[in-house]
Amino acid sequence: MNLDLVAQLAISGFVIGSLYALLGVSFGLVYQTSKIFHLAGAIPLAAAGYGAVWSAKTLHFPIWLSLLFGLAVSVLIGALILLLGYLPLIERKASLLSLFLVSLGLSVAFPSLLQIIFGVNNLPLEVYGSDGALKVPFENPVYQSGFLTITRLSIVQLIVSWVLVLIVLFIINKTALGRSVTALRTNPAMASAVGIDSRVVYLVIFSLSSLLMGVAGLLVTTQFVANPTMGLQWTLIGFIAVFFGGITSLGGSALGGLVLGLLSSLSGIWLGSQYAPIVVFTILFLTLLVRPQGLFGKATI
Amino acid sequence: MKNQNVKRKLLAASLASGLVVASLVGTASTSANAATTTCISKIMGPGGKAAGQGVTINAGMLLAMTGGGSFFGDVMSKGAKLAAEQIKNAGGFNYKIQIADHKNGDVPTALTEVKRMVSQGKIKVLQTSYGAPSEAIAPIVAANKVLTINGGGSSPGQLKKDFLWQNRMLFGDDPTAGALAWIKKKFPTAKKLAIIGTQENGVGAQTTVAPEAWKKLGGTVVASESHDVGATDFTSLASKIKASGADAIITYSFGNDVGYQVKALRQANITAPIMGIEFTANAQEIAGDSFDTFNFATDFYNVANPNPWNKCFVKEYRAKYGEDPEYYGSNYYEQVFIYWELVKRVIAKGGNPNDSAQLQAELKKNPTFNSVYGGDAKKIGQATFVVKDHSISKPMGVFSVKNGKPVLAQGIVKVAASANPNTALK
Repeated sequence: MNLDLVAQLAISGFVIGSLYALLGVSFGLVYQTSKIFHLAGAIPLAAAGYGAVWSAKTLHFPIWLSLLFGLAVSVLIGALILLLGYLPLIERKASLLSLFLVSLGLSVAFPSLLQIIFGVNNLPLEVYGSDGALKVPFENPVYQSGFLTITRLSIVQLIVSWVLVLIVLFIINKTALGRSVTALRTNPAMASAVGIDSRVVYLVIFSLSSLLMGVAGLLVTTQFVANPTMGLQWTLIGFIAVFFGGITSLGGSALGGLVLGLLSSLSGIWLGSQYAPIVVFTILFLTLLVRPQGLFGKATI
Repeated sequence: MKNQNVKRKLLAASLASGLVVASLVGTASTSANAATTTCISKIMGPGGKAAGQGVTINAGMLLAMTGGGSFFGDVMSKGAKLAAEQIKNAGGFNYKIQIADHKNGDVPTALTEVKRMVSQGKIKVLQTSYGAPSEAIAPIVAANKVLTINGGGSSPGQLKKDFLWQNRMLFGDDPTAGALAWIKKKFPTAKKLAIIGTQENGVGAQTTVAPEAWKKLGGTVVASESHDVGATDFTSLASKIKASGADAIITYSFGNDVGYQVKALRQANITAPIMGIEFTANAQEIAGDSFDTFNFATDFYNVANPNPWNKCFVKEYRAKYGEDPEYYGSNYYEQVFIYWELVKRVIAKGGNPNDSAQLQAELKKNPTFNSVYGGDAKKIGQATFVVKDHSISKPMGVFSVKNGKPVLAQGIVKVAASANPNTALK
């Protein structure tokens, strides 16, 4: 066995797994609070990328401001999805299936909307330099040690993803907001009785989830491009990470994402790249067969 | 009563205003169309009844309009729409286009859409794309006699099928010998080849054509990797290619996948030359500077070709869409003119231009057509269908990307599988 190859695949797995962890936590936040399969989380992810690209090219924002603008757009859109899409249905006691269908419809329609507004072409993130010409804002050198390589933006992805995951875990486990989320999840009626406003909690959680999706969208856009279908693909992975890691545990969702990334990468030692999705889904199926609560989730009675 | 009179007056005023506006718009568009008519009329001859004026052909287009391949659907439909407009304004037929989306190559969707266009849309001709959907619809177009041409994902599985023709050299298979011979000529020390591809198209090239051609050139295949269409993470694939020690790479991937792939290969510090089978602006946006080391072998469409028809095409395409055409757009543009030529031939013989069996019969009798490929400043190029298997013979080339633009490095030709690949170099 080529140990260099194993080590490089492990590095690649950690890098992609960090993004999966971020996505898993984002979805886990929404699911644990509201039980909504938030497929429409794809929208803030894509919106952040397009927001950054558009503001840099059209409004001539410097890179830091265009990134903030992208994040602001993703949070705003996430809040609007809740306020205009989900909340009216929740208040009418709609079923979870209805909420899922709304989410699905939005996630399918949004890429077409992006195509209509921005066209079908990929859009790179470029900013205006001092000479007035558009240029790529980040250098992305490759660091090499023997056989092993990693790029600067991959390192940024690792650090940013895990810092955010840890911050979210702290918020949920150690703050009043986290206690409100737990209360709302376990007994909504009691939570309301003690004065927890579910609408406010939902708004904060959806905004936080959208912020995480927005960061994921910006990480993808800065390394590659913004394109209309960029949201849905990552969204599905986020879902898998949540169920794989444990729907009752945000930390589990994060670790589930990491394990997913490692598995899909390391499976390349024995199998062709086209089999990675089969490997991932097979392991997910087997895991849920043995542990329906996921790898790190708690069994409920 | 008074209210009714007011309403009648308002309605009359609205109608009158609408008529005035419509006539102004009509005048404006007629003026704008005058330039188009002159450009094509000079090249293709006068319009009129013999040219199909007054004849409506219901045409279908089966394209990737959504999903990761929407770039292809966009440029293909642009080419066809421009052609339809030019021909109608030049006094030719009315080519009425219906576009169906196969959702980036989904076969069940393609089958449903084609059946719908045939039964409800009453299409007589079809411009199709991608390999798998086009192979799947072959029985439908044959049974319903819908003359179909594929200018995108041509594949061996589509050959010798009644009513199905290719106006693009076979994806992967046809340019491979010349592409590998060029690599060997430019990088004589390269001996170890890595092959990358998908299961959607170019499978034969990946598994048979490339290994055999490379062996004849004195090399060995050290890695062969496939991936799902639409993949974005190629870091694992790049690691395996690197571990194989390949000093040359050929990829049969297409669309956005190429951009992600080339970027991952270069970020893994793989310096081996990479040869692809197509170039798209979208892939280039993804790969960024990494694409400046990319080479590709495909039909030799050249925007700057001084062929008079190509000049007309490029000028009108730029005016209408604000961008240059590329080979996919040009293939689907040409297809409409192929149909027009066939309609003219059928009319000349007193036949029914809406009978695709008659159109195909004319194609088989004389398979040579005008082309925006080839030619020179004084004459239009020509492309000839191969009647035996329904493929086409067109100029091909190896291109290298320099400063973001493809530059012709070598002309190549299709050669037999048993031939020495070096004979593919012009």
